[in-house]
Amino acid sequence: MFEAPFMVRAFAELALLALICGPVSVFVFARRLSFVADALTHTVFPGVVIGFAAAGAEGIFGGALVAGVLTAVALTLLTRAGLLSDDAATAVVLTAMFSVGVALVSRRSSYTSDLTTFLFGRILTVTPRQLAETAVLAVVILALVAVGARAWIFRAFDPTGSAAAGFRTTWLDLWLNLVVALVVVAAVRAVGTVLVIALLVVPAAAARTVTDRLPAMAALGTVLTLLAGYAGLWVSWTASIDYGVRLTSATAVVLILVLAYAVLLPVGRLRAKTVGRAKTVGQAR
Amino acid sequence: MAVGAVLALAACGGTPGDQAGAATGGKLAVVATTPEVADFVRTIGADEVAVTQIIKPNVDPHDYEPTPADLQAIGAAKVVVKNGVGLEKWLDQTIESAGFDGSVVDSSQGVALRQGDPGDEEMADGDPHIWHNPVNAKIMVSNIEKGLAAADPGHAQTFAKNLAAYSSQLDQLDSANQAAWAKVPVDQRKLVTNHDAFGYYVDRYQLDFVGSVIPSMDTSAELSARQLQNLVAKIKATGTRAIFTESSLPPKTAEAIAQQAGVQVVGGENALYGDSLGAPGTPQGTYLGAEQHNTETLVAALGG
Amino acid sequence: MADTDTALRYASAALGYRGRAVLTDVDFALRGGRTLALVGPNGAGKSTLIKSVLGLAEVVGGAVTVLGRPVAQARGLAAYVPQVDSLDADFPVSAADVVLMGRYRRIGWWRPTGRADRQAALAALDRVGLADRARVRFGLLSGGQRQRVLVARAIAAESRLLLLDEPLNGVDATSQAAILRALGELTAAGAALLISTHDLGLAARIADQVCLLNGRQWAAGTPAEVLTGELLRRAYGGHAVDLPDGRTVLVEP
Repeated sequence: MFEAPFMVRAFAELALLALICGPVSVFVFARRLSFVADALTHTVFPGVVIGFAAAGAEGIFGGALVAGVLTAVALTLLTRAGLLSDDAATAVVLTAMFSVGVALVSRRSSYTSDLTTFLFGRILTVTPRQLAETAVLAVVILALVAVGARAWIFRAFDPTGSAAAGFRTTWLDLWLNLVVALVVVAAVRAVGTVLVIALLVVPAAAARTVTDRLPAMAALGTVLTLLAGYAGLWVSWTASIDYGVRLTSATAVVLILVLAYAVLLPVGRLRAKTVGRAKTVGQAR
Repeated sequence: MAVGAVLALAACGGTPGDQAGAATGGKLAVVATTPEVADFVRTIGADEVAVTQIIKPNVDPHDYEPTPADLQAIGAAKVVVKNGVGLEKWLDQTIESAGFDGSVVDSSQGVALRQGDPGDEEMADGDPHIWHNPVNAKIMVSNIEKGLAAADPGHAQTFAKNLAAYSSQLDQLDSANQAAWAKVPVDQRKLVTNHDAFGYYVDRYQLDFVGSVIPSMDTSAELSARQLQNLVAKIKATGTRAIFTESSLPPKTAEAIAQQAGVQVVGGENALYGDSLGAPGTPQGTYLGAEQHNTETLVAALGG
Repeated sequence: MADTDTALRYASAALGYRGRAVLTDVDFALRGGRTLALVGPNGAGKSTLIKSVLGLAEVVGGAVTVLGRPVAQARGLAAYVPQVDSLDADFPVSAADVVLMGRYRRIGWWRPTGRADRQAALAALDRVGLADRARVRFGLLSGGQRQRVLVARAIAAESRLLLLDEPLNGVDATSQAAILRALGELTAAGAALLISTHDLGLAARIADQVCLLNGRQWAAGTPAEVLTGELLRRAYGGHAVDLPDGRTVLVEP
């Protein structure tokens, strides 16, 4: 499979995404931001459309970036001002932006193919330049995560305590929202806006079933995504070459990732039972 | 550091040069995009070519995503034949990703293009459905023959022979069409189709295009309420007898209009072949068969 | 009385949110080494007062001084011990991780935690008798043990002022004893404690000063001065009251 350069590039892109989604999904999980993350995947869409209309395939990146940053700011401010509850504000922004995106895209005439590209990505046609862009973004994201990790954990675990200790909640929230937006931007060309939510949520959820420690969750999340990436590519390759069956690579990757989660769930249950037993024993103090 | 390793891995993914130029089992490896173009290539190339057709019948050519098999085939091919006129916007990036370094044949070279709906952005390059006019089809196969001969000069004679034979068949198709339409009064040649794909056919045989159920070239666009009203009014006003759906498109929208305007819907098995050809192996699976079917269906519904 | 010795001072303060006061007439001074108990019925404003020290509630009128500084410039100076139920027990952090969070204020958000910090965290856990539980996931500890961990977190912060919100609520006897012991060590070393509680008996036992709240400050002084039947009746008006001698009485308005 890896004799074909386009498969190597596809895997490289997925590897980069695995590197960023492992840690970031941990924070999405810890802060229960799944809905916000989902919103960001929808709100990036109009930016993608505008970027594409303005500058073709190269413009997707910039368009998504602008839209993502704007949404992150908007969501943070809306919830901070307490104008609406978290979920309501998020839902409003999500549907508004997505509808704008759909309206924009339907004014274009060849919109179905553009639409599917935006929604599901085109991982097999990733160019070396796009790969470089993803790599740069990955470095930026990981740096932002490294700096913010401790504060995010504290804030997730004990919002009042962290605020009392002097951490500015609004800035922390904005920071994390921005990082999530950046991840969406990085992933949108490869797996599209619909599937990127899986990469933001499933790695941490799957890892959580087998480990209790946050750093381990991040590492395991990355490894799982890498494996799913490889397996997904392999499945779609084999299906296409050997059996003539069409299966989008991005879909295969996500499906396998979700499968991994499904497999780990009972493992986690088993673990919880054994740990629970140990807990009652050690409770003597 | 991990990022660097990944990039290095991507960079040394092998050179595409060693793959192209390899003909499959002695035959020239050719990739064709649409079913019509593939049919042309198979006819001109016959036994000397191994054709990989990317877009299968009944798949919208605007809406395409390359599979690993497609990319591999393209990477290994010597010639890629496309319809052109912006129909395959996705082709350039696909070719680049596949590492193709052969020649690309644009079948539309030299074809007089018609401008479609001026408000339609996709029409910036012109209306891509050039093949519905047999005169254009002759130009297309001629371009294809040149491309094949350049890539495989050893069999140039065979290609030229096939071209001559097929061109005369195309002439026959054109005459048959003219004869069929001669029997239909001009004011009855009113065409309402599923989408605006038959512009060249309409021009060639002097039909009157009343409107399409789908206004833009794109097959997923829906009619707005006002567009629907206008179309129904027009249909009623012009007294057209039937509206036609196509094989690659769902007929529900057409049926809705037919009901409101009180006309016959021609679809299902009799559906026209607008974007695609019929199933491979059937007569309508070839260009000639599909075009013949179109003319027969149209004339039958409008002429009676 | 030098101001540096006063850990917390309220001067005719009104506290609230969005410009509106929910607690008025707050006036007391808490010095180092002393313990002040905040008492009053539910909704009296006890948590508002604590939040005002933390900068999470507004000072609408009057002045509040925290460790010698105006409260607006004192963010993070006091150490806070919340109620253990307010935290998510499933969160994947260990006891040591939680205690380490108490050190963040000193380190700043960008520097990594060092050996000294980790040792301080372990020492704090030891002070509450949980040194051997350092690696256990926080949620797997008992309620009382978790409360002890939160106290250890405040100890690790090495602050001169600690704020505790109902620290013994629902806590088992062993953990209560451990917590009270640790608090005693803190005051002996000169730290000031502000404890909100509904348990008047506890207030009588451990506090040097009591502040009685219900919408406003009704009284501030020694336990003997404040925890009188008359004052309590007036302040509580219609609520159930746990009297110092162990009885519970329903006071009619």
